[in-house]
Amino acid sequence: MALFEARHLHKRFADQVVLEDITLSFEENQISGIMGPNGAGKTTCFNVLTGRYRPDRGTVFFDGKDITGLPPRKIARHGIARSFQMMNLFDEYTALENIVLALPEVSARGFSMTHNLAHDVDAQDRGAAVLARIGLGGREHTPASDLSYGQRRALEIGIALAAEPRMLFLDEPTSGLGTDATATLATLIQEIRKSVTIVIIEHDMKFLFDLADRIAVIHWGQVIAQGTPETLRENEWVRTSNLGALA
Amino acid sequence: MTETPLLHVDQVHKTYTQGVLNKRVTFDLQADFTIEKPGIVGVMGPNGSGKTTLFELITGSNNPTSGQVRVCGQDIHQVRSDQRDRLAIHYHQSYQVRHFRKRRPNFMLQPSSTDYPKVHLFDEPQFNTQDGYIGFMLDFFRRLREESRLVVLCVHPNEPFHLRIMQEICESFIFVQKGRLTQAPDFNTLLQNPDVTAYLGELVGSQAA
Repeated sequence: MALFEARHLHKRFADQVVLEDITLSFEENQISGIMGPNGAGKTTCFNVLTGRYRPDRGTVFFDGKDITGLPPRKIARHGIARSFQMMNLFDEYTALENIVLALPEVSARGFSMTHNLAHDVDAQDRGAAVLARIGLGGREHTPASDLSYGQRRALEIGIALAAEPRMLFLDEPTSGLGTDATATLATLIQEIRKSVTIVIIEHDMKFLFDLADRIAVIHWGQVIAQGTPETLRENEWVRTSNLGALA
Repeated sequence: MTETPLLHVDQVHKTYTQGVLNKRVTFDLQADFTIEKPGIVGVMGPNGSGKTTLFELITGSNNPTSGQVRVCGQDIHQVRSDQRDRLAIHYHQSYQVRHFRKRRPNFMLQPSSTDYPKVHLFDEPQFNTQDGYIGFMLDFFRRLREESRLVVLCVHPNEPFHLRIMQEICESFIFVQKGRLTQAPDFNTLLQNPDVTAYLGELVGSQAA
């Protein structure tokens, strides 16, 4: 059984069909991609997989356990982290502070008057290690607001990684990034894949074709195609359209 | 006994009127056709000709003034409204979804006889040559058809390649104009209809070239 499995997911918003019979599985230590045109249901699918929405029908299994309909915080506790399409940082805090606040022992304790984080050398060391992993070593004391767009995106991934998840979901990680920042992000993802199973939602086909081991194409809330990038590239229209020339 | 047709639109009339005392008909849709077997059917017609209304009547979200729609033998308007999309499913054009008043509560209605829709109605899918998704979309239509489902593809062609896609994928056609339907068993028969060539205009010439 795959690490993460979704079976026959259905989701409706009133009369609008958003997900229709989605079945997906993500293997451990792989990068899986979900792509599709705008409005195809990618983000809704993502939100159902990560517990933000409850499916109307269907089940979601993680590591053999049924996690269907669990609230996001409980799903996170199972070792599933996600990033958001919108930036989710504390702008006035430094890069290191953003990470330290996301460390499991710190967030579990909540706000504490008696515990001074400034003297928690252990937490700071661990935060610095995460920053080094995401290529922000040396930027520990830079406020998040002073980081470039690409670095902020990396910091977001760092926050998700601070919880040491087994599985990481990334929602449109390249959105708003230029060519250089996208290339840096691809390198970062190649680096962190060694320790975490990754699912990427993306409408940029090129980015996914280079990174993912397996890709599911979603449209009309359904999986309309899936396979390795090589098999998907064999599609005549993919070859003849602009993407074919690029890929 | 013959097999139950997948879709039977039985003398369906939908009349929209304006005014209370002095009723005036503003739009009138008449449809009467049967599709026996799985296949891919292309629906074309100008904007405002009744294509989306026809889809709404088939999925049961909109109610006909008279007549009946049978999907796999079941009168769609007698099926629980939350299970109608297990028979016929309408993929709306982006977010253009109209809502209708439900006439009867679900406990008075029948459950759907299937769990997965048999009739798939695609309302103006966006075909964009800039990306490779068209290929996956066409593969998907063919896969549904192989799984013995009926695919109805509604397109208002703007580009020559839209027409090429329709010619390549559709086995039969329905032309809708001013609330009236004309069936054509294949693409060539469709093009023999002077209303169709008038509607398609230049697209036909450039498509042949």
